[in-house]
Amino acid sequence: MVSPVQSRGSSNYAYSVARVRAMKSKLLPKETYARLVNMKIDEIIRFIEESEYKQDVDELARTYDGIDLIEHALNKNLASTFTKIINFTNGELNYILTEYLKDYDIWNIKAILRGKYYGAPVDEIKESLVAAGQLSYGKLSALAEKDSEDDVIEALQNTQYYIILKEYEKGQLWKIENLLDHMYYSSLFQTLGSTKISDRRHFMKFIRTEIDIKNITLLMRLKKYGTIDAEKSADLMIAGGLELGLAEIEKLLPLSFEELLQSLEKYSYWNAIADIADPNIDSLTDLETQLTKYSLRTAGSFSHEYPLSIAPIMDYILNKKNEIRNLRIIVRGKASNLSEELIKNQLVI
Amino acid sequence: MGAQDVKPTRSELIALKKKIKLSESGHKLLKMKRDGLILEFFDILNQAKDVRNELDAAYANATEKFKFAEAVEGRVTVKSTAFALKNTPEITLRSHNIMGVVVPKIDSSKVHKSLNQRGYGILGTSSYIDEAVESYEILVDKIILAAEIETTMKKLLDDIEKTKRRVNALEFKVIPELSEAMAFISLRLEEMERENTFRLKRIKA
Repeated sequence: MVSPVQSRGSSNYAYSVARVRAMKSKLLPKETYARLVNMKIDEIIRFIEESEYKQDVDELARTYDGIDLIEHALNKNLASTFTKIINFTNGELNYILTEYLKDYDIWNIKAILRGKYYGAPVDEIKESLVAAGQLSYGKLSALAEKDSEDDVIEALQNTQYYIILKEYEKGQLWKIENLLDHMYYSSLFQTLGSTKISDRRHFMKFIRTEIDIKNITLLMRLKKYGTIDAEKSADLMIAGGLELGLAEIEKLLPLSFEELLQSLEKYSYWNAIADIADPNIDSLTDLETQLTKYSLRTAGSFSHEYPLSIAPIMDYILNKKNEIRNLRIIVRGKASNLSEELIKNQLVI
Repeated sequence: MGAQDVKPTRSELIALKKKIKLSESGHKLLKMKRDGLILEFFDILNQAKDVRNELDAAYANATEKFKFAEAVEGRVTVKSTAFALKNTPEITLRSHNIMGVVVPKIDSSKVHKSLNQRGYGILGTSSYIDEAVESYEILVDKIILAAEIETTMKKLLDDIEKTKRRVNALEFKVIPELSEAMAFISLRLEEMERENTFRLKRIKA
């Protein structure tokens, strides 16, 4: 099912970075979000319909309408943008980005398996696909049309995911999902191998920051909502973080939520959450948003530090994802009558 | 039963006296049952008010968390995550007796689950999803509790109404009619007694 990994060869950095910079200039400026939050829902929809997303909205207008149309158009645009990047990059750069975007393949496989497990209609499963990874929409659609989870897994037997998928036991989707996510990072580390090549080193730094943020969020979720023992929790953690290695995480696992927050003070991520980190906090969503903002800021600083590397491209990918996220928050938030303050707090600008 | 329809006989009078005695003791018991049920009802009413308030709050919270998760993660993600859990809560219905009124007792499997029992993988999801799921789990738990209490309350109300009707029927219809019939028979028997005495005196004379 999966196309063979692209030959590494020489990368076209100058061309790729120039194109990505041009694409980045088309991203919505910060001030636009403030304007959008103050607009009425119809005005926001019209704004999106007349922006970079026009083509996607027009293409999907026959199938969807209203807020759903906007959400699907945003997802479609994200998928086509990432596919475009993969198509104009070469060699090592293309190889790294392809590996990074496998995240979407995993998301799509999970979505199909969930849908099959639940017995959801094929159309509804297809609606949840975001073909921004290596598996094309056609391949994913064919998977969604299979009769059962076992048939989907069987159809994926020539992929790297099969080694995990074959262990699937009915009703135990969560195990497979967690293993697939672990596999994503371990396979990223494995395939990128040596970090002597500067581009891979930059990329690794970026990924390891992402792992730290994922692990911190996971630790907080486990402490706040979970009743999972420390041993089982340790299996969930992702190895390879930049500041928090597995040994350090193991020390954090038995701590209470309050002690965990105190322990996080010594890491650089603390600055991002210090203002709102309170042991009695009701919701973790604001903390998660702050960490996402931190992740974006870090990507932005990498991109200035290493202007002719993978960093500006990763920065664009993250900013594009963020633009989609922000637009969705504004559109859905407005349609659901969420307060402007709540919407503004969740925007990562 | 009109007083005029009864046969003015001594045996009828004895039967009526028995009926009145039975009706009066039934009336007393039913009144006691009605008062007892009303007391139970007020107890349940307070619980029902609390549960209803908690249910309203849980519903408002769940709706907000859901909208929030939908806004941040997208409807597509929320829907797909929801597909990961197919289990429906198992509910066992038992009955429970309050002063002769059979009310339901609902035992359900715990809907509120820990993070690793929700069907979806933790690594690929976020706290927005966790909070939406948690708030809906709490809501379902509250709905089950409210269903038990509100059904009990409705059954008690029905039974209070029924008992009240019986008490009123006994108090204002059955007992007065029986008393009237008894009075009529007594009067008639006395009359017959007097007629008899007069007849005997006439024969003697």
